[in-house]
Amino acid sequence: MLIKALLLFFLLLDPSYADAVLAQIAARLVKTDITQGDFHQQKQLKVLRKPLLSTGTFTYHQSKGVIWKTQTPVVSLLLVSGSKLLTGQGEQAVPAAFGKVFKAMLGGDLAALSEGFTLTASDQTTAWQLALTPKDEMLKSVIGTMMLSGDTELRQLEIRETGGNITLISFDNITHPAQLTAEQQADFERLSP
Amino acid sequence: MLIIGILGSQTLTKDWLETGFLALLPISEQQPDIANATRQHSQLLNRKMVWLAGAASSGQAIAHAQKLKQQLEQSPLFNKVVLEVPRQHYINQYRQLFPYRYQLLDAQTQAMLAKNPEDFIRQNLEILSSPFGQMQAADLERDPSLLFGRYFSAQQPIKLNVEQGIVVLSDQQQFWALLLTDLHDEHLQLDKLDSLLQRVNDASGQIKADGGELLVSGMALFTAQGAQSAKQEMSTVGLGSSLGIVLLLLTIFRSFRPLLLALLALGSGLLAALVLSILCFDKIHILTLVFGASLMGVAIDYALHFFCDSFDDTAWLPQQGLRFIMPGISLGLFTTLLSYAGLGLSPFPGLQQVAVFSAIGLSVAWLTVVLVFPLLLAGFRPTHRPLLLKAAAYWQQHWPLWLLRHKRGLGLTAVVFVLGGLWMLTPRDDVRLLQSPPAELTRSADKIRQLFPMSPDSQFFLVSGQDQADWYQNEQRLLQRLETLKQQQALGDYQGLSRYWPDDRLQQQNYRLIKQQLVDFGLLERYMNDLGFDQTAVKTELKQFAEAEGNRLTLPEWLAAADESKQSLWLGCADGSCQSTVALMGINDATALAALQDVPGVIWVDQAGSLSSLFARYRVKASGLLAIAFSLALAGLAVKFGWRNSLSIMSVPVAALAVALAMIGWFGQLFSLFNLFALLLVLGIGVDYGLFFFIAGDRRTGTSLGVTLSALTTLLAFGLLATSSTEIVHAFGFTVAAGIVTALLCAPLVGLKNT
Repeated sequence: MLIKALLLFFLLLDPSYADAVLAQIAARLVKTDITQGDFHQQKQLKVLRKPLLSTGTFTYHQSKGVIWKTQTPVVSLLLVSGSKLLTGQGEQAVPAAFGKVFKAMLGGDLAALSEGFTLTASDQTTAWQLALTPKDEMLKSVIGTMMLSGDTELRQLEIRETGGNITLISFDNITHPAQLTAEQQADFERLSP
Repeated sequence: MLIIGILGSQTLTKDWLETGFLALLPISEQQPDIANATRQHSQLLNRKMVWLAGAASSGQAIAHAQKLKQQLEQSPLFNKVVLEVPRQHYINQYRQLFPYRYQLLDAQTQAMLAKNPEDFIRQNLEILSSPFGQMQAADLERDPSLLFGRYFSAQQPIKLNVEQGIVVLSDQQQFWALLLTDLHDEHLQLDKLDSLLQRVNDASGQIKADGGELLVSGMALFTAQGAQSAKQEMSTVGLGSSLGIVLLLLTIFRSFRPLLLALLALGSGLLAALVLSILCFDKIHILTLVFGASLMGVAIDYALHFFCDSFDDTAWLPQQGLRFIMPGISLGLFTTLLSYAGLGLSPFPGLQQVAVFSAIGLSVAWLTVVLVFPLLLAGFRPTHRPLLLKAAAYWQQHWPLWLLRHKRGLGLTAVVFVLGGLWMLTPRDDVRLLQSPPAELTRSADKIRQLFPMSPDSQFFLVSGQDQADWYQNEQRLLQRLETLKQQQALGDYQGLSRYWPDDRLQQQNYRLIKQQLVDFGLLERYMNDLGFDQTAVKTELKQFAEAEGNRLTLPEWLAAADESKQSLWLGCADGSCQSTVALMGINDATALAALQDVPGVIWVDQAGSLSSLFARYRVKASGLLAIAFSLALAGLAVKFGWRNSLSIMSVPVAALAVALAMIGWFGQLFSLFNLFALLLVLGIGVDYGLFFFIAGDRRTGTSLGVTLSALTTLLAFGLLATSSTEIVHAFGFTVAAGIVTALLCAPLVGLKNT
């Protein structure tokens, strides 16, 4: 841990080096229009003795947005694009804390991420890690850091809130189909105005 | 004149100009309740301005908006410039309402709890496990059942995305950062309106230079645009017509004297009219001024007639001239006054003011001509024969004869023309035609409404009850019906207090609902245990719930915590009546909304709509008055000259009126209350032309020149209004022009046999 921190510290000293690492990570990521897979989410809420677990599938489409389908503990569907969020409760405001970067994260769009966050990266032979700290004051009051890690894919996402709650999402069975299924297409249809 | 001057120095220093539309209406038309609510509603509307700074990315849009905010804050025009969402306000609101969380339920949650509380629990799990549920999860400690979170977010029916504390809207192409401003004044002075427009144009240019786009809307902007285009038009039209008149008079008389004297007659008439009308009515309306001053155009006839008489006699003396024209101009004045008396009898304060204003103005102008002109015209004896005089002489000799020679064919054509035109005449009374905003302004207003559908429309509901309970019941009934209409897309949304504040009974009911459905059978306890709450947390929550049973949130308390836009909906309780307004957004079907008046205690207030229907009613009434004015003039002339001659004189204004109306019909021009003022002017002038020719005797040449000159000056002064882009001004000018030309063409037929 200490070594890693030191490494990060040195990386921070040299912005050009940090940019180079980012470029390396970006180069490693598989770039396709569609990414889909399973997710396991574990939320550790300060007030609860045990974590909240949920599982389901996700679909990322480069221009259309994200379908987030939870299967357990309750079946529910969440659709999000850059400016719209649809849940079981109807259309919601996209929370500043997370909404904008959610899609960028799933799609590995590092350029979009660097707009609102300070990025610190480390790249090893097997895996890379990326830490995001919000630049915006209001965001800072909610989100401490977000950690992304992966190899050729994004494998894990960890959100540490300033209030102490931690969300950990891991992604498995990631594939890159050439086309959306009819069902996925219908879901995305609901997002378009 | 001296007296008037002294009176004027006193009256004109007071605040004498009225601009509100309501002042034009008879007292009975304005119920004080409605007028009061309308004032409050439009006050808010008039001051609000919405600005959207657009760019390809939200970051850029925000940057544009921040720059814009700095600029606007420096301007003295605004007393509030809001870019960042007022977080502290929402935090305070949360704190103030939180103690009443078991009494406050939004409609959706209410329905869900009543129907199936298990759904409610399921929804909680969904919210909490959502990757976007951070805020709600963070609140779980205070609000384990997420009841209050639901109520609190339902307070804002439209979900807005916030970035860097700024609301960012988006369409397919662009992101838009939202900035809201309040103007200092509800009614901006003209110079302030100018600087507002300047501000908007500057800001727009700057953002465009930075690669962005700016959309602005607000009532004040419409007013400003209207004022600016009116001012521009008035200055071009005014300049054009004054230049034309000056040149015309100078070439005809080759002397400054007639010009200055004509100005003296008109000026003294106007001043006297203004001063005495203000003394009479205390305040006069801007429209009175406009139309009253227009109707005074008749006065120039007297002066011109006097001057032109000088061409008929080589040894002309002013006293002789006066003796000759006296009967003509006196009778002209008399008939015109008689016809305006009809207006004065109407119950419409606006029309009364116009009648008094023009009557005084005309009388004083007449007095000036009769008393002052003979003195000031001493030695005035033009020796030249202006070209127009020769033309007028030739024309008055040959034109009537040509007309008489072809009277069959011409008569038939005229009848067909007039009937056809009248058949096509369709009144349009929409008050919105008073303003003709530029298309660009309307476009950005529409775009803003689409992106940010939260600005209330000008129509609203006024809800009353004998007491608060009665009011609450009435508003709830209305809101239920509105919800149905909203589902049917008759409107975008509505805002009423009782949508957010439950009254005593409903607060009790909400509490009982939570108790029965969540607490009594242990559902809440089970849910909290399953989630993994501590035993102490569960006990605390149950204890807090039990203790909260007697909590009541009164309306004043709720209002104190509410947003400004909601606070303004409450009109208060007084004299055994409690009132509120219900604001409406995105109205699609005003008729369906107006039908909700059948809900007890509910009044549909559509100021523009009711003004339009009022205009329609008064158009009909004023048409009647116009007919009465014609009859009075006819009767007056009949007493003096007998029915036959009276009819022959009056045929000039009647023909002018008929042709003017027919022309409006043929050309599909706007026909409304305002055209009738133009027709009154046509009546006054037409009578004069007929009369002048009737008593001309052997002096028809001078009379013909006088009439031609008068027609030309009137056309220059009012006919040029037809070039206006404001539809009613244009229609006014068009009507006058058509009427005056016809009167000029018909007048030489009068008094032919006398020669």
